[in-house]
Amino acid sequence: MRRFIAVLPGPTPVKYALAVVIVLIALVALFFIYDWIGANLLDTGGTIQ
Amino acid sequence: MDESLSTTTRTTRARSGTGIVVKTIRGIGWASLVVGLLILGFVAQQLFVTSWFADRNQVQLEEQAQEYFDATAAGVEEVPYITPLPGQQSRTGSGGSVPAETPNSIDGGPRATILVEPAPPVHQAFAILRIPKLDKLRDGWTVVEGVERSDLRNGAGHMTHTPVPGQPGNSVISGHRTTYGAPFHDFDKLEPGDVIEVETAIGMHTFVVREIVIVKPTELWVTAPRDGAWLTLTTCHPKFSSRQRLVVFAELVDGPNAAAILGA
Repeated sequence: MRRFIAVLPGPTPVKYALAVVIVLIALVALFFIYDWIGANLLDTGGTIQ
Repeated sequence: MDESLSTTTRTTRARSGTGIVVKTIRGIGWASLVVGLLILGFVAQQLFVTSWFADRNQVQLEEQAQEYFDATAAGVEEVPYITPLPGQQSRTGSGGSVPAETPNSIDGGPRATILVEPAPPVHQAFAILRIPKLDKLRDGWTVVEGVERSDLRNGAGHMTHTPVPGQPGNSVISGHRTTYGAPFHDFDKLEPGDVIEVETAIGMHTFVVREIVIVKPTELWVTAPRDGAWLTLTTCHPKFSSRQRLVVFAELVDGPNAAAILGA
Protein backbone atom coordinates (compact mmCIF):
# COMPACT_ATOMS: atom_id res chain seq x y z
CA MET A 1 0.00 0.00 0.00
CA ARG A 2 2.86 2.36 0.85
CA ARG A 3 4.49 1.63 -2.49
CA PHE A 4 1.17 2.26 -4.23
CA ILE A 5 0.77 5.60 -2.48
CA ALA A 6 4.40 6.49 -3.16
CA VAL A 7 4.02 6.19 -6.94
CA LEU A 8 1.04 8.54 -7.01
CA PRO A 9 1.78 12.12 -8.16
CA GLY A 10 1.76 15.25 -6.03
CA PRO A 11 2.58 16.06 -2.41
CA THR A 12 1.76 13.57 0.37
CA PRO A 13 -1.78 14.83 1.18
CA VAL A 14 -2.69 14.68 -2.51
CA LYS A 15 -1.24 11.18 -2.78
CA TYR A 16 -3.45 10.01 0.10
CA ALA A 17 -6.51 11.71 -1.32
CA LEU A 18 -5.87 10.11 -4.71
CA ALA A 19 -5.41 6.72 -3.05
CA VAL A 20 -8.77 7.05 -1.29
CA VAL A 21 -10.51 8.02 -4.54
CA ILE A 22 -8.92 5.11 -6.44
CA VAL A 23 -9.90 2.63 -3.72
CA LEU A 24 -13.48 3.92 -3.71
CA ILE A 25 -13.74 3.65 -7.51
CA ALA A 26 -12.34 0.12 -7.33
CA LEU A 27 -14.89 -0.85 -4.66
CA VAL A 28 -17.80 0.52 -6.69
CA ALA A 29 -16.54 -1.29 -9.80
CA LEU A 30 -16.20 -4.48 -7.77
CA PHE A 31 -19.76 -4.07 -6.49
CA PHE A 32 -21.11 -3.90 -10.03
CA ILE A 33 -18.98 -6.83 -11.18
CA TYR A 34 -20.18 -8.90 -8.22
CA ASP A 35 -23.75 -7.87 -8.91
CA TRP A 36 -23.50 -8.88 -12.55
CA ILE A 37 -21.96 -12.25 -11.72
CA GLY A 38 -24.57 -12.90 -9.02
CA ALA A 39 -27.50 -11.88 -11.18
CA ASN A 40 -26.39 -14.02 -14.09
CA LEU A 41 -24.99 -17.11 -12.46
CA LEU A 42 -26.04 -17.38 -8.82
CA ASP A 43 -29.63 -16.19 -8.66
CA THR A 44 -31.38 -14.62 -11.63
CA GLY A 45 -34.57 -13.94 -9.69
CA GLY A 46 -36.37 -17.12 -10.71
CA THR A 47 -38.07 -15.81 -13.82
CA ILE A 48 -39.33 -18.11 -16.55
CA GLN A 49 -38.24 -16.89 -20.00
CA MET B 1 42.12 -17.06 -7.30
CA ASP B 2 40.18 -18.95 -9.95
CA GLU B 3 38.77 -21.32 -7.34
CA SER B 4 37.65 -18.41 -5.18
CA LEU B 5 35.96 -16.73 -8.17
CA SER B 6 34.22 -19.93 -9.11
CA THR B 7 32.90 -20.39 -5.54
CA THR B 8 31.59 -16.82 -5.50
CA THR B 9 29.85 -17.34 -8.84
CA ARG B 10 28.23 -20.55 -7.59
CA THR B 11 27.10 -18.82 -4.39
CA THR B 12 25.64 -15.90 -6.35
CA ARG B 13 23.83 -18.26 -8.72
CA ALA B 14 22.48 -20.28 -5.79
CA ARG B 15 21.29 -17.12 -4.07
CA SER B 16 19.76 -15.92 -7.32
CA GLY B 17 17.96 -19.28 -7.71
CA THR B 18 16.71 -19.14 -4.12
CA GLY B 19 15.59 -15.56 -4.70
CA ILE B 20 13.44 -16.58 -7.67
CA VAL B 21 11.83 -19.41 -5.68
CA VAL B 22 11.14 -17.10 -2.74
CA LYS B 23 9.69 -14.44 -5.03
CA THR B 24 7.50 -16.99 -6.79
CA ILE B 25 6.19 -18.40 -3.51
CA ARG B 26 5.63 -14.91 -2.19
CA GLY B 27 3.80 -13.97 -5.41
CA ILE B 28 1.58 -17.06 -5.22
CA GLY B 29 0.88 -16.27 -1.57
CA TRP B 30 -0.17 -12.70 -2.33
CA ALA B 31 -2.22 -13.77 -5.35
CA SER B 32 -4.02 -16.41 -3.23
CA LEU B 33 -4.69 -13.81 -0.57
CA VAL B 34 -6.13 -11.37 -3.11
CA VAL B 35 -8.25 -14.07 -4.80
CA GLY B 36 -9.49 -15.23 -1.38
CA LEU B 37 -10.44 -11.68 -0.40
CA LEU B 38 -12.23 -11.17 -3.73
CA ILE B 39 -14.23 -14.39 -3.23
CA LEU B 40 -15.00 -13.44 0.36
CA GLY B 41 -16.11 -10.01 -0.83
CA PHE B 42 -18.35 -11.62 -3.46
CA VAL B 43 -20.02 -13.88 -0.92
CA ALA B 44 -20.48 -11.00 1.52
CA GLN B 45 -21.89 -8.75 -1.20
CA GLN B 46 -24.31 -11.37 -2.48
CA LEU B 47 -25.56 -12.63 0.86
CA PHE B 48 -25.46 -9.58 3.08
CA VAL B 49 -25.19 -6.37 1.05
CA THR B 50 -27.95 -7.28 -1.43
CA SER B 51 -30.20 -8.42 1.42
CA TRP B 52 -29.54 -5.21 3.31
CA PHE B 53 -30.66 -3.23 0.24
CA ALA B 54 -33.74 -5.44 -0.23
CA ASP B 55 -34.78 -5.20 3.42
CA ARG B 56 -34.37 -1.44 3.35
CA ASN B 57 -36.38 -1.19 0.11
CA GLN B 58 -39.13 -3.39 1.53
CA VAL B 59 -39.96 -0.80 4.19
CA GLN B 60 -40.51 1.84 1.51
CA LEU B 61 -42.31 -0.54 -0.83
CA GLU B 62 -44.76 -1.64 1.83
CA GLU B 63 -45.75 2.00 2.34
CA GLN B 64 -45.99 2.40 -1.43
CA ALA B 65 -48.26 -0.64 -1.65
CA GLN B 66 -50.55 0.67 1.10
CA GLU B 67 -50.81 4.00 -0.74
CA TYR B 68 -51.55 2.10 -3.94
CA PHE B 69 -54.35 0.15 -2.21
CA ASP B 70 -55.99 3.41 -1.12
CA ALA B 71 -55.56 5.06 -4.51
CA THR B 72 -56.79 2.06 -6.48
CA ALA B 73 -59.90 1.37 -4.42
CA ALA B 74 -61.80 3.96 -6.49
CA GLY B 75 -60.83 2.25 -9.75
CA VAL B 76 -62.07 -1.20 -8.79
CA GLU B 77 -64.87 -2.39 -11.07
CA GLU B 78 -67.52 -5.00 -10.40
CA VAL B 79 -68.09 -6.95 -13.60
CA PRO B 80 -70.11 -10.03 -14.51
CA TYR B 81 -68.15 -13.26 -14.41
CA ILE B 82 -69.23 -16.30 -16.35
CA THR B 83 -68.21 -19.48 -14.61
CA PRO B 84 -66.83 -21.74 -17.31
CA LEU B 85 -68.11 -25.21 -18.00
CA PRO B 86 -65.44 -27.91 -17.90
CA GLY B 87 -62.97 -27.36 -20.73
CA GLN B 88 -63.91 -23.69 -21.28
CA GLN B 89 -61.77 -20.64 -20.50
CA SER B 90 -63.14 -18.34 -17.82
CA ARG B 91 -64.47 -14.97 -19.04
CA THR B 92 -65.36 -11.62 -17.63
CA GLY B 93 -68.09 -9.43 -19.04
CA SER B 94 -65.76 -6.49 -19.56
CA GLY B 95 -63.06 -8.04 -21.69
CA GLY B 96 -63.98 -11.55 -22.79
CA SER B 97 -64.78 -12.55 -26.32
CA VAL B 98 -68.34 -13.48 -25.33
CA PRO B 99 -70.66 -10.66 -24.17
CA ALA B 100 -71.75 -10.72 -20.55
CA GLU B 101 -75.40 -10.89 -21.55
CA THR B 102 -74.94 -14.20 -23.32
CA PRO B 103 -77.41 -16.62 -21.76
CA ASN B 104 -75.92 -19.06 -19.31
CA SER B 105 -77.58 -21.97 -21.06
CA ILE B 106 -75.42 -21.35 -24.13
CA ASP B 107 -72.27 -19.93 -22.62
CA GLY B 108 -71.52 -21.65 -19.39
CA GLY B 109 -72.46 -22.18 -15.77
CA PRO B 110 -73.89 -19.81 -13.20
CA ARG B 111 -73.13 -16.13 -13.57
CA ALA B 112 -71.81 -13.92 -10.75
CA THR B 113 -69.79 -10.76 -10.39
CA ILE B 114 -66.14 -10.30 -9.53
CA LEU B 115 -64.10 -7.30 -8.48
CA VAL B 116 -61.59 -6.35 -11.17
CA GLU B 117 -58.76 -4.04 -10.23
CA PRO B 118 -56.85 -2.10 -12.89
CA ALA B 119 -53.47 -3.44 -13.97
CA PRO B 120 -50.80 -1.76 -11.85
CA PRO B 121 -48.18 0.47 -13.51
CA VAL B 122 -44.85 -1.23 -14.19
CA HIS B 123 -42.40 -1.09 -11.23
CA GLN B 124 -45.29 -0.23 -8.87
CA ALA B 125 -45.59 -2.06 -5.54
CA PHE B 126 -49.15 -3.37 -5.70
CA ALA B 127 -49.50 -6.49 -3.53
CA ILE B 128 -48.18 -8.12 -0.39
CA LEU B 129 -47.37 -11.82 -0.36
CA ARG B 130 -47.59 -13.78 2.89
CA ILE B 131 -46.83 -17.42 3.56
CA PRO B 132 -47.48 -18.21 7.25
CA LYS B 133 -45.39 -21.40 7.09
CA LEU B 134 -42.18 -19.61 6.06
CA ASP B 135 -40.36 -17.33 8.51
CA LYS B 136 -39.19 -14.95 5.80
CA LEU B 137 -42.66 -14.43 4.36
CA ARG B 138 -44.75 -14.67 7.53
CA ASP B 139 -44.93 -10.88 7.84
CA GLY B 140 -45.20 -10.27 4.13
CA TRP B 141 -43.02 -9.40 1.16
CA THR B 142 -44.04 -6.70 -1.28
CA VAL B 143 -44.76 -7.62 -4.89
CA VAL B 144 -43.92 -5.15 -7.65
CA GLU B 145 -45.20 -5.09 -11.21
CA GLY B 146 -42.58 -6.44 -13.60
CA VAL B 147 -39.79 -8.98 -13.54
CA GLU B 148 -36.90 -6.86 -14.73
CA ARG B 149 -33.71 -7.12 -12.70
CA SER B 150 -34.45 -3.80 -11.00
CA ASP B 151 -37.93 -5.01 -10.00
CA LEU B 152 -36.62 -8.22 -8.49
CA ARG B 153 -33.97 -6.33 -6.53
CA ASN B 154 -36.75 -4.56 -4.69
CA GLY B 155 -39.35 -7.22 -4.14
CA ALA B 156 -40.97 -10.23 -5.71
CA GLY B 157 -41.88 -9.50 -9.33
CA HIS B 158 -45.21 -10.06 -11.03
CA MET B 159 -45.16 -11.00 -14.73
CA THR B 160 -46.93 -8.14 -16.46
CA HIS B 161 -48.91 -10.20 -18.97
CA THR B 162 -50.49 -12.38 -16.28
CA PRO B 163 -53.52 -11.41 -14.17
CA VAL B 164 -53.24 -9.75 -10.79
CA PRO B 165 -53.50 -12.34 -7.95
CA GLY B 166 -57.13 -13.03 -7.13
CA GLN B 167 -58.30 -12.49 -10.71
CA PRO B 168 -59.28 -15.37 -13.01
CA GLY B 169 -56.36 -17.06 -14.76
CA ASN B 170 -52.77 -17.72 -13.76
CA SER B 171 -50.94 -14.98 -11.90
CA VAL B 172 -47.17 -15.51 -11.96
CA ILE B 173 -44.78 -14.06 -9.39
CA SER B 174 -41.01 -14.63 -9.32
CA GLY B 175 -38.53 -14.00 -6.54
CA HIS B 176 -34.93 -14.42 -5.48
CA ARG B 177 -33.88 -17.61 -3.72
CA THR B 178 -30.51 -16.67 -2.22
CA THR B 179 -29.85 -12.97 -2.76
CA TYR B 180 -31.72 -9.65 -2.40
CA GLY B 181 -33.43 -10.69 0.79
CA ALA B 182 -33.98 -14.23 -0.53
CA PRO B 183 -37.77 -14.05 -0.11
CA PHE B 184 -38.28 -17.48 -1.70
CA HIS B 185 -35.33 -19.12 0.08
CA ASP B 186 -37.35 -21.81 1.87
CA PHE B 187 -39.70 -22.75 -0.96
CA ASP B 188 -38.42 -26.31 -0.79
CA LYS B 189 -40.24 -26.55 2.56
CA LEU B 190 -43.63 -25.88 0.97
CA GLU B 191 -45.98 -28.82 0.51
CA PRO B 192 -49.39 -29.31 -1.09
CA GLY B 193 -52.01 -27.94 1.30
CA ASP B 194 -49.91 -25.02 2.59
CA VAL B 195 -51.60 -21.63 2.62
CA ILE B 196 -50.43 -18.57 0.66
CA GLU B 197 -52.06 -15.18 1.16
CA VAL B 198 -51.86 -12.23 -1.19
CA GLU B 199 -53.21 -8.81 -0.29
CA THR B 200 -54.19 -6.61 -3.22
CA ALA B 201 -56.28 -3.47 -3.65
CA ILE B 202 -59.53 -5.47 -3.45
CA GLY B 203 -58.64 -7.45 -0.34
CA MET B 204 -56.96 -10.61 0.89
CA HIS B 205 -56.85 -13.65 -1.38
CA THR B 206 -56.08 -17.07 0.06
CA PHE B 207 -54.47 -19.74 -2.08
CA VAL B 208 -53.64 -23.34 -1.28
CA VAL B 209 -50.56 -25.06 -2.70
CA ARG B 210 -51.62 -27.82 -5.10
CA GLU B 211 -48.41 -28.82 -6.83
CA ILE B 212 -44.67 -28.15 -6.75
CA VAL B 213 -42.51 -28.91 -9.77
CA ILE B 214 -38.92 -28.36 -10.86
CA VAL B 215 -38.48 -27.26 -14.46
CA LYS B 216 -36.00 -25.65 -16.81
CA PRO B 217 -35.99 -21.81 -16.89
CA THR B 218 -37.36 -21.92 -20.45
CA GLU B 219 -40.49 -23.98 -19.69
CA LEU B 220 -43.06 -21.31 -20.41
CA TRP B 221 -46.02 -23.66 -19.96
CA VAL B 222 -45.94 -22.95 -16.23
CA THR B 223 -47.08 -19.39 -16.99
CA ALA B 224 -49.93 -20.45 -19.31
CA PRO B 225 -53.52 -19.41 -18.44
CA ARG B 226 -55.50 -21.79 -16.23
CA ASP B 227 -59.15 -22.29 -15.40
CA GLY B 228 -60.11 -20.79 -12.06
CA ALA B 229 -57.73 -18.43 -10.28
CA TRP B 230 -54.20 -19.61 -9.70
CA LEU B 231 -51.03 -18.21 -8.26
CA THR B 232 -47.76 -19.53 -9.68
CA LEU B 233 -44.60 -18.71 -7.76
CA THR B 234 -41.23 -19.31 -9.40
CA THR B 235 -37.69 -19.15 -8.05
CA CYS B 236 -34.20 -20.44 -8.81
CA HIS B 237 -33.30 -24.04 -8.06
CA PRO B 238 -31.20 -25.47 -6.53
CA LYS B 239 -30.07 -22.82 -4.06
CA PHE B 240 -27.07 -20.81 -5.28
CA SER B 241 -27.73 -21.83 -8.86
CA SER B 242 -29.96 -20.60 -11.66
CA ARG B 243 -29.89 -23.89 -13.52
CA GLN B 244 -33.54 -24.78 -12.86
CA ARG B 245 -36.75 -23.28 -11.49
CA LEU B 246 -38.78 -24.37 -8.48
CA VAL B 247 -42.42 -23.70 -9.33
CA VAL B 248 -45.28 -23.65 -6.83
CA PHE B 249 -48.84 -23.83 -8.16
CA ALA B 250 -51.49 -22.61 -5.72
CA GLU B 251 -55.24 -22.35 -6.26
CA LEU B 252 -57.53 -19.60 -5.00
CA VAL B 253 -59.81 -20.88 -2.24
CA ASP B 254 -60.93 -17.73 -0.46
CA GLY B 255 -61.14 -13.99 -1.06
CA PRO B 256 -63.35 -11.34 -2.64
CA ASN B 257 -63.61 -13.22 -5.96
CA ALA B 258 -63.34 -16.81 -4.75
CA ALA B 259 -67.07 -17.54 -4.57
CA ALA B 260 -67.73 -16.32 -8.11
CA ILE B 261 -64.68 -17.95 -9.64
CA LEU B 262 -65.15 -21.26 -7.86
CA GLY B 263 -68.82 -21.19 -8.83
CA ALA B 264 -70.03 -21.58 -5.27
